[in-house]
Amino acid sequence: MTIIYITVTIAIYQLARWAALRFPSPFTTPVFTSTVVIISLLAASGVSYKEYTPAKEIMTFLLGPATAALALPLYHNRAVLRERFFPAAASLIVGTFATIVSAVWMASAFGLSRTIQATAAVKAVTTPVAMEAAVIIGGDPALAAAFVITAGIFGAVFGPPLLTMFNINDPFSRGLGIGTISHGIGTSQAVQEGPVQGTVSSAAMGVSAIITSLVLPWLFPFL
Amino acid sequence: MKKAAAFLFQLAFLSALYYGSEFLVSWLHIPIPASVTGMVILLFLLSKGWVPVQMIESGAAFLNKHLAFFFIPIAAGLITYGDLIRSDGAALMAVIAGSSVIGLLITSGLSSALAKRSREKA
Repeated sequence: MTIIYITVTIAIYQLARWAALRFPSPFTTPVFTSTVVIISLLAASGVSYKEYTPAKEIMTFLLGPATAALALPLYHNRAVLRERFFPAAASLIVGTFATIVSAVWMASAFGLSRTIQATAAVKAVTTPVAMEAAVIIGGDPALAAAFVITAGIFGAVFGPPLLTMFNINDPFSRGLGIGTISHGIGTSQAVQEGPVQGTVSSAAMGVSAIITSLVLPWLFPFL
Repeated sequence: MKKAAAFLFQLAFLSALYYGSEFLVSWLHIPIPASVTGMVILLFLLSKGWVPVQMIESGAAFLNKHLAFFFIPIAAGLITYGDLIRSDGAALMAVIAGSSVIGLLITSGLSSALAKRSREKA
């Protein structure tokens, strides 16, 4: 069955890529449409996520190597990163604080538990860091993974059109924001937008993950 | 045939690099994810010329192009949070979306404003 799940997942992904080219829109972002289709198929066929998990393990074997391979665009565009290092670092740090603080405050305003507040605080960074950071500040690691994915898909789908709406057209700044708030999933979309966006987004997801894991244990008790 | 072999070798090399980083990170208790560590190590190797770009280029470009694919099976795991989504889904979505928009516009807006200012100065 595992082979069938893998084949179906790849077929859905290919269809989603075709649909994104044929009908360009934020809502045809492949990671979003594919996820919706697969969740619907699992729900309709009564296959549990547990049964799908062995297929997931095989398909995600190359996720880590693929993320590390983002060093290639970083290498090709290292000059632009070096040139704008300080303003980029300042923007990234301010933006990372803003997304953490606003997540915790909004969660508390909605009357959500302290556990959920702590979990929401880590939602912008890549899954392994988010899960570890969540545990340290009293959040839930499994839920952290779910929040991270939701934030990532949100950033990939709505990030680029929002930036365009606010007239932020500088490719460097677009990549920086997308990588900072929506890690690898946002980066996978930024790569499609252009090489500068992809590069800056990969660098930003790495740096924001490091900053979040260092700062959060000190910051969270004050929020 | 030769091309296919070279491509597979590149995927194997990148996998070895990543899984090596994963080992290093857990062994040394480095608080940085293995994927970011692997990215930094690979960037270092490329910059020093110890790994020539051609040695990883086609494999790395292929993986980067299809990066989104690897997140799909993981994202499908959201299906296991059905109960929470039904009870608190709207509030959670508002928190995630709201804080993402705030972070995005501040980061990109600030960066773009700083770039404009330095261009005007120059």
